Amino acid sequence: MTAVHQFVPALLPRDATGDHTRALRDALRAAGFNSDIFVEAAHDELQAEATYFEEYPSRAQPGDILLYQLGTSSPVAEFLLGRPEPLVLDYHNVTPEEFYAGWEEHTREKVALARAQVAELAPAAVLGIADSEFNASELATLGCPATEVVPILVDLAAITADAAEADRLAKDHGRGTVWLFVGRISPNKVQHRLVAAFWLYRQMYDADARLHLVGPAVTPDYVDALDAYVAELGLTDAVRRVEGLSAGQLAAWYEDADVFVCLSEHEGFCIPLLEAMAAGTPVVALDAGAVGETLGRAGLLLDSSRPSVVAAAVDRVRCDHDLVEHLVAAGRRRLADFAAPVTAARFVDVLRRLDTERSQVA
Amino acid sequence: MTTTPSTPISAGPEDPSSGESGSDAAAIAEASRSAAVADDVAYLDQVMVEIDAEVRRRRASGDLPASLERELDELFLEFSPVGLQGKAKMRETLALIDSSAYVDIAVPTASNKAIGVYIKKTIRKMIGWYMRFIADQIIKMFWATSRMSHVLVEHVEDLEADVEAHRTPDLPVDVVVPADLAAAWWAPKAASALSAVGGRVAVGECGTGSLVEALVASGVDAYGLDPSDLALEDAIDRGADLRAESVLDHLGVVADEALAGVVLTGAVERLRPNERGQLMELVATKVAVGGTVVLHSTTPEAWARSAPPLVRDLAPGRPLHAATWAHLLGGRGFAVTETTTGGAGGALAYVATSSPDAGAVNAAIDAVNELLGGPAEYVLVAVRER
Repeated sequence: MTAVHQFVPALLPRDATGDHTRALRDALRAAGFNSDIFVEAAHDELQAEATYFEEYPSRAQPGDILLYQLGTSSPVAEFLLGRPEPLVLDYHNVTPEEFYAGWEEHTREKVALARAQVAELAPAAVLGIADSEFNASELATLGCPATEVVPILVDLAAITADAAEADRLAKDHGRGTVWLFVGRISPNKVQHRLVAAFWLYRQMYDADARLHLVGPAVTPDYVDALDAYVAELGLTDAVRRVEGLSAGQLAAWYEDADVFVCLSEHEGFCIPLLEAMAAGTPVVALDAGAVGETLGRAGLLLDSSRPSVVAAAVDRVRCDHDLVEHLVAAGRRRLADFAAPVTAARFVDVLRRLDTERSQVA
Repeated sequence: MTTTPSTPISAGPEDPSSGESGSDAAAIAEASRSAAVADDVAYLDQVMVEIDAEVRRRRASGDLPASLERELDELFLEFSPVGLQGKAKMRETLALIDSSAYVDIAVPTASNKAIGVYIKKTIRKMIGWYMRFIADQIIKMFWATSRMSHVLVEHVEDLEADVEAHRTPDLPVDVVVPADLAAAWWAPKAASALSAVGGRVAVGECGTGSLVEALVASGVDAYGLDPSDLALEDAIDRGADLRAESVLDHLGVVADEALAGVVLTGAVERLRPNERGQLMELVATKVAVGGTVVLHSTTPEAWARSAPPLVRDLAPGRPLHAATWAHLLGGRGFAVTETTTGGAGGALAYVATSSPDAGAVNAAIDAVNELLGGPAEYVLVAVRER
């Protein structure tokens, strides 16, 4: 029985890559493959599901395929480059270093290293699986001999909104439009452009509007600048930053929002778009990276993040109920394309074909 | 094994009672779905056009001053380390460097336990000589860095003063008269060059939008850009896809290789050198391989003779020769396939076309003008080869 073993730098609970890795392992096992997860580090909760990557050689078997969940720099990359087994990349993209230049030197160096590792791994792999065409084209440009596009495994059907959180948010909602963005507070997500658009929106359309920014504050200098900007624009009471929500709480925040606004300038897939669709929240997003590809026609896709354009688009959503119904319905249809069983079957199919091709060659 | 992303739409169940064959039913269902998708696209496109119109209406009403969005960006820069601008911020940072450029080797020895204090003090005393040696070297490096920073800041301040002394007022947008490009001598050349590109074509500084309308009428998927909202109003009301943006701003947010063609005119005569380089980089990135660039410009000589005084005095840049654009495009993977000169910018004006023998007279005027001052304009067609 062929084994497809996964390697991931860190296996974390409540994390997109961690959830994807575990779901894929389950799908592979259900399809008859042997499949284990090898890591550089694992969260305490998941220690029993992970094996330290340097222990793999003692367990290696002929015919093994190694699948690397690639989204950050790690010694695992160097390890895999030295292995004789066929290597498959599951590429989730790495933020280009220029986004961090001037903001956070150590993160800039880390992502630069990660992109250098992608450049080394791509030509060494037998196959690159990418979340999006955007990611696949990066791999192909770097010399990956073959690519397949299969989205990240995300099971939104399993998540329901936390009732207590939903009640609390409903009481606080007020009459103003609630904007939501979910993602790391980070220069590539350009939350400051969102704040600028939001400020203009309050000036021109809805003085009671509020902006919710949900996501970890991972770039301290950018977070400080963002907070100072919010204060300078007089928005301290209107902009709320939150992190550490459970999946159920997060779903409640999506459902509470009147519009999900994403002006991120670099996304390899953008799971929050799917989360917004699942919650029935209309989406307004900048067409950058893989955003347009993921969103399809299930949102207002902007070709500019100018505050005036963003504010006008959000106001259109606020005032046009037919449009909201259209976007929400389109979102639900679009979401079906990313249903976990569909995606899992595609992963298995891709890996089975690879296994068959390699068996025939052998 | 390269494939495209699949967004599978499951085929609907066949109805055995329909009397149609399975393949017919599937074809009808597929046609119905295609029509629904097309309706969907048209609906959202219409919404986006209306959003653009709303932004233009706000600008025209004065609710949205043109400078406001730039000021919002600049305000954020004041808080960002990448945007540290101005002497005050640089001096503040220097002071921070100076105050940090010291390593204290007197490690704190406080402890919750008395024995802890004794142990820490003993360790500090034992390794003091070692720490001092290391710290001296680090402090020397800090001070060298600090001195270098002072020198750099003084240089930057000198440069800023020098640049400020040469700064000219911005060229007001409204002194540039919106052009009726469809009537220009080079419009047929542009239409011919773009007739078979098979994708979206952006027309920069499109003036009244007439060239965009003419291109669309001839089957080109064209849209227009112009920094002046007012110039665009009539054509937008007629249904043309025009945006109130500069070419540089717009190309900056277009996806890579999304365009099959670009028409550049107007602004290319007035760009600063750095903006010119930026434009070339954007064109080389946003126009797909096989795509076409049509570039029209006044010749430098004709511009010096005929541009309005305000434009000549305040324009940040000057027109280039056709050969220079060919050189710049050639360095970015484009091959120039055609360069044509023309235009009536010479000393003698045309007679009205209603005049007897106007054709012959104007041809003679062209010849005389060319003898007196050379061709007034040129249009260059280039195709991206790599």
